[in-house]
Formats: sequence, C-alpha cells, structure tokens
Amino acid sequence: VRELVFIPAWNEEDSVAAVIGDVRRALPEADVLVVDDGSTDATAERAREAGALVASLPFNQGLGAALQTGYLYALREGYDCCAHLDADGQHPAAEVARLLEEVRADRADLVIGSRYRGQGPAAAGGSQDGPGGAQADAASEAQGGAPSGAAAGGDYRPTLSRRIGTSVFRFFLTLATRQRFTDTTSGMRAANRRVMALFSERYSPDFAEIESLQLAVREGLRVEELPVRMLERVGGSSFLTPLRSAFFIFKGMIVLLVGQFRPRAEARP
Amino acid sequence: MRPLLLAAQSPAVHLTSQTRILAAAIAIVFMVMILDLIRRGRLQERFSVVWFVAGLGMLAGAIFPGLLGVVADAMGVRDTNVALFSVILLLLLGLALNFSVIMSRQAAQITRLAQERALEKAREQAAERDGNDAAAERTERAAPHE
Repeated sequence: VRELVFIPAWNEEDSVAAVIGDVRRALPEADVLVVDDGSTDATAERAREAGALVASLPFNQGLGAALQTGYLYALREGYDCCAHLDADGQHPAAEVARLLEEVRADRADLVIGSRYRGQGPAAAGGSQDGPGGAQADAASEAQGGAPSGAAAGGDYRPTLSRRIGTSVFRFFLTLATRQRFTDTTSGMRAANRRVMALFSERYSPDFAEIESLQLAVREGLRVEELPVRMLERVGGSSFLTPLRSAFFIFKGMIVLLVGQFRPRAEARP
Repeated sequence: MRPLLLAAQSPAVHLTSQTRILAAAIAIVFMVMILDLIRRGRLQERFSVVWFVAGLGMLAGAIFPGLLGVVADAMGVRDTNVALFSVILLLLLGLALNFSVIMSRQAAQITRLAQERALEKAREQAAERDGNDAAAERTERAAPHE
C-alpha cells in the first residue's frame, strides 16, 4: 500500500521541519510531500532538508488550491491513500496514522480528525485512548456535543471567535449534509482514491474545508470523523481576527447554500 | 395597462440637434478607439464585439431619436431619459457580471497552471531521489560490505 502524507505550508519555516520529522517517525513507509503555497521564506528549503518532496506553487493560491495540489499529486502518482495535516505543528502525526488506518481498512473514504469529538466507541478499537477518554466523551455528549469536547481532545483550547465560527459551521453543515460533524474546519484528513479523484477535479479554492465535506457527502462518499488530540500551534499565528471571522462565517454560509444547488458529478467507478 | 397608456400620451423624445450631434460624435470616437485597440493588440476581438455593438447602439440612438421613444414605450416608461438610463445601467450590470465570470474562469486556469508546475517540480525531485536510491543500491551490490 503506497501512502502519501502531504502538508500545505505557507511561510512555516519555523515548524515545517519538525512536522516532517514527526510524520516520518510515525509513518516511516509513507512519502511526504510539502505543498509550498508561494512561501516567501525558507519553507521549501527547510522541507527539502528534512527529506520531504516539495511542490512549490509559484504564488500564493490559498489553502484550497494547496490541498488540491496534494490530492492531484497523490492521484497522478498512483498512491492508494493519502492524508494531510497542518504545517504549524498542531497535528500530531501519530493521530494522522490513526486516520490513515481507517482508510486503509476501507471503513470510510474520507476521515476527518476532530478535536471536538470525544474519544468515542469509534476510537475504542484504535490504539491510544487518552486517560479518562470515556468519561470526557460522556461529558461532551451530555452537553449535546458542545465545544467542551476540547477538554476530551486534550491540549487544544480554541479562541472565542473560533468557537462561534465552529458552532455556526457545525450547525449549517449538519443541516446541509444530514450528518453530524463536530470539527468542520479540521485540516487533518485521510482519504482514498475516490476522494482524490473528486477533490482533484472540484475543490473550492476559497472555502476548502467546509465545502469539501459537503461535496463528499453529496457525492455519496463515506465521510467519518475520528476524535484526535491536537496541540497548540508552534509557529505562526491564526489568521482569524473577529472581523475576519464574521466575514468568514458569512461567506461560509453562502458557500454552503450555493453548494446545495450544485449539480452532482457523474458517478465514477 | 396603465403605464402603457401613460407612455402613449407622451411619445415625444426631447433631444436637441446639438445633443444628437454630440452623441453621434462620441459614438464614432468610441468605435474608432475600439478598432485602434484591436489593431494594436491591446484588446482581443472576442471581447470587442459587445463594445462595438454598444457603440453602434449609441450611434443609432443619435441618428434616429424615435428609437428611444419606441424603447420607452415598450418598457412602459413615460420619460425617455429614464428608459435610456435604465437600459444603459442594465447593460453595464450585465457586462460587469460577464467580466466576473471570465475572471473566475481565468483564476481557475491560473491555479491549475501553478499546480501543474508545482507537481512537475515535485515529480522531478522524486525521480531524482529514486534515481539516487537505485544508484546507491547498485554500488552496494557491486561492492558489498566486507
């Protein structure tokens, strides 16, 4: 089984090498590709030194285009499954390995790492149950899946604007897909070739995470969330200021609404 | 029905000959400008058609002021000036939208182009690395560890 782990990176020279090292330790068999989204710092050099393949976009194209580049590479080079994680060090590679295991076992086409979903029964079969995982799960279930799941996730503490955005998106995405999602903007995912084929053709450049979930569910793919542990970021800062968050949320709602009326792609084998 | 009746009551178009000459002159200058832009390769033909049609429309309106009255009648507008402005406004709105559509398509094309280039580089790097691995393996086989 050939696997590709790709990392979209935009000016992440401080953290990218550590993330690559983490992935290579957790997934020694996988190829690592850094999609350098027009970085102006030494991201590409650091990535190459750390032993990753580097696909450098000539100018900054946005996260969606960078992720699509990764899916496109995985599809064209014949990888059986692929996964991606953020370059800022928030995503432990061991958790990515768990997502990949789900895809490898063909339990889902697309697996999302959720920092809000408690350690549920889905993870019980998996390797690392955090201490007190079951009890934290019960707590988050009792509150109807409120963002308190962060406590279950471990070290991750979201900011207020992120929490608001998360609940709004969660509500509308659940409405649109009739499937419960807790971490709609998670950048930690694993996918098989069906997803690669879909995402390399159609992937919103502006609103990658949310619209891609809607798209995948609409196309009849099996999308699953797996609770994961996430960390505070190592380098860089979140791009979400309150005003930007409001705009982000507004845009996201429009994108979801429009997405509901999109024609479905022809069914591919 | 009422707007139609109202429009019928005042079919006159209030354009002085001075306005008409000015409009015709502007229309002609406009069309010459477009031809010149095409000639110098600054404007592609496929984008020029709509502008040329607009220039012709302007010229037609200046030569036959009755046309404006017909348009106003059809719209049920009493004031021909309002009809004129509405038509132009709608035309510009349509054009602006058309350009947004073209821009979106080109943005998608540019993105794909950038991706293809990035993939090419990564593929080269992968091939190089595989080549190095193979070479290392060959030397290993040729001179096994003592």
